[in-house]
Amino acid sequence: MRIILNAFSFLRDKLRLQGIAHIEAPMEITSPCDVHRLISLLGLKPEDVEAVFINRVIMPKETLLNENDRVALLPPGTPGSYRLMLGIKKV
Amino acid sequence: MADKIYRVNMSNLSFKIEEVPASWMGLGGRGLTSTIVAEEVDPECHPLGPNNKLVFAPGLLSGTSASNSGRNSCGAKSPLTGGIKESNVGGTSAAIMAKLGVKALIIEGLPKDAETFYQLHVTKDRVEFILVPELIGLDNYAVLEAMAAKYDKKVAVMSIGRIGEMRMNIANISVKDPGGKLRSHGRGGLGAVMGSKKIKCITVDAESYKEVTIENPDKFKEASKIFTKTLQENPISGQGLPAFGTNVLVNILNEAGGLPTHNFREGNWEHAEKICGETMAENIKARGGKTTHGCHAGCVIQCSQVYNDKDGNYLTSGFEYETIWALGAHLGIQDLDLIAKMDGLMDDLGVDSIETSVMLGLAVDAGILAYGDGARAYELLSHEIPTGTPLGRILGAGTHILGKAYGLVRVPTVKGQGIPAYEPRAVKGQGITYATTPMGADHTAGYAVATNILNSGGHIDPLKKEGQVELARNLQIASAAVDSTGMCIFVAFAALDDAKCLPSLIDMINARFGCALTIDDVMNLGKNILKKEHEFNIKAGFGKADDRLPEFMKYETLPPHNVTWDFTGEEIDAFWNF
Ligand code: SF4
Repeated sequence: MRIILNAFSFLRDKLRLQGIAHIEAPMEITSPCDVHRLISLLGLKPEDVEAVFINRVIMPKETLLNENDRVALLPPGTPGSYRLMLGIKKV
Repeated sequence: MADKIYRVNMSNLSFKIEEVPASWMGLGGRGLTSTIVAEEVDPECHPLGPNNKLVFAPGLLSGTSASNSGRNSCGAKSPLTGGIKESNVGGTSAAIMAKLGVKALIIEGLPKDAETFYQLHVTKDRVEFILVPELIGLDNYAVLEAMAAKYDKKVAVMSIGRIGEMRMNIANISVKDPGGKLRSHGRGGLGAVMGSKKIKCITVDAESYKEVTIENPDKFKEASKIFTKTLQENPISGQGLPAFGTNVLVNILNEAGGLPTHNFREGNWEHAEKICGETMAENIKARGGKTTHGCHAGCVIQCSQVYNDKDGNYLTSGFEYETIWALGAHLGIQDLDLIAKMDGLMDDLGVDSIETSVMLGLAVDAGILAYGDGARAYELLSHEIPTGTPLGRILGAGTHILGKAYGLVRVPTVKGQGIPAYEPRAVKGQGITYATTPMGADHTAGYAVATNILNSGGHIDPLKKEGQVELARNLQIASAAVDSTGMCIFVAFAALDDAKCLPSLIDMINARFGCALTIDDVMNLGKNILKKEHEFNIKAGFGKADDRLPEFMKYETLPPHNVTWDFTGEEIDAFWNF
């Protein structure tokens, strides 16, 4: 299936080094695939990704991805109160 | 020697150096400026009249070796909001004032001669009143140059440009930073208050000061080491901010549908990539700027940066997300270099880069310029406003007045102050802070987090109401407390993640003053400050209706989440139940 991948901040350099497109980039993956598996498919370590937006909402990493999902990965480093306000970190 | 209160009266050009009243002893920064304003300023006074006071107070830890402790607070009744205001800044003034033993500088009255401007020169024993006709009509960098020629190069300088002289609501007070660039007491029109008192600049002697006294130096050193480590090891303050600055938030807010676009009509901007933190960092690296830079000596986070143009020439520093957002998604400028040039110009002119840029975005709705017309925006900023043309005066009065002058309904302000960078309908906790903070819409009012007073209730859904009022309340209480320490609010990131951060901060305060405060004491201080500020505003005539967001947010849905602002008045008012 096809998803649209975005990655921010430090993740960009990590993906660039591997030649993986990461700005509004269509990506083919096999189903079923949750965010944990996507992270490993991208050659990233679990701790590289603090949170994930799926279709513009922060979702648990256990979430199974669907065809045409818009996925954006965030490394640790989102400033404090916004990590709470956007639901990245538990209150 | 104990710290003193330096009191200046501009009506008769006199000064007094006073003992610190016992009830002000444990206060610094915002806690002290807000207490002085609440106790000494008539809430019903005209902000530009003789009964307003302009108060500067370094934080409790300013002047010490504690990391990130160099923030200076400035307070007054705001001409922009009509309520109480505190705005804090880095630069060199906090440490120099604290080392000189100035616990607060209180400026009262107005000079009789309306044509003159003064420089106040503060030394250990006196305040000199120097007529400075040669500085009238100059902007901030020229004032810095003049002061550098006159004094030791380390002298602290706080100044206003032409726009402050004209007492416009967008005027800020600029402060020299260690690199000779400018930082700002940005929000609330405090530069207009300084202009009304006919003070072009304040200089603080950097030659005769002594190091601040620390009651328990060993304990201080130990706590300071732990505190610094928590900042350096935190992924936000240790890596994220130094690499991308606060502008790392463009892509995050854009992805969350919370990047206010085209005057709060949408929550995403298709051109976000052109102005985001990642693009900014690439430009800086390619052009020989600096991705890390501190606004004051002793900052170990260094969220600031030096941003150069394509030829490697300096454009600006302290290039913040909120300004970039406002000139970018809100006003439509896609050229990050032009945004940087405007940011640097706003420093020199001495205007609040948030209020000014939010206002310029609204000027699109007023038909004054087209969305994305950077050239016209630059012309308004560089010509109409600083030369004080009739249009420039309307623009310089800020977002709220511009909206009134042009009969606009979609005016993004609370208590007369422009809403920054975080769409309240899509980041509802921020909306509660904008509605309730006594400062008028201010993102830094709800920035710090005290995990010990947060109820653990799982993840917040930014699009729903649940838990938002309580979260905003806790953020504002903690922010008011941090703003009193002299700490930069970004220490909050480590405070959220590392259990050692906040206790070590309090240990430093205890070691500095020989006291035994607990976390609860410090949070109670935050509560008291907030309540004091709220009471001042009520006495100034504010009511519940002022704790509300612009009405259009209730009936216009915001894409992409198609959300409205759906809090009832009662739900918002519950914020004050503490
Ligand atoms: S983190 Fe940024 S705002 Fe805070 S003190 Fe350092 S440079 Fe200044």
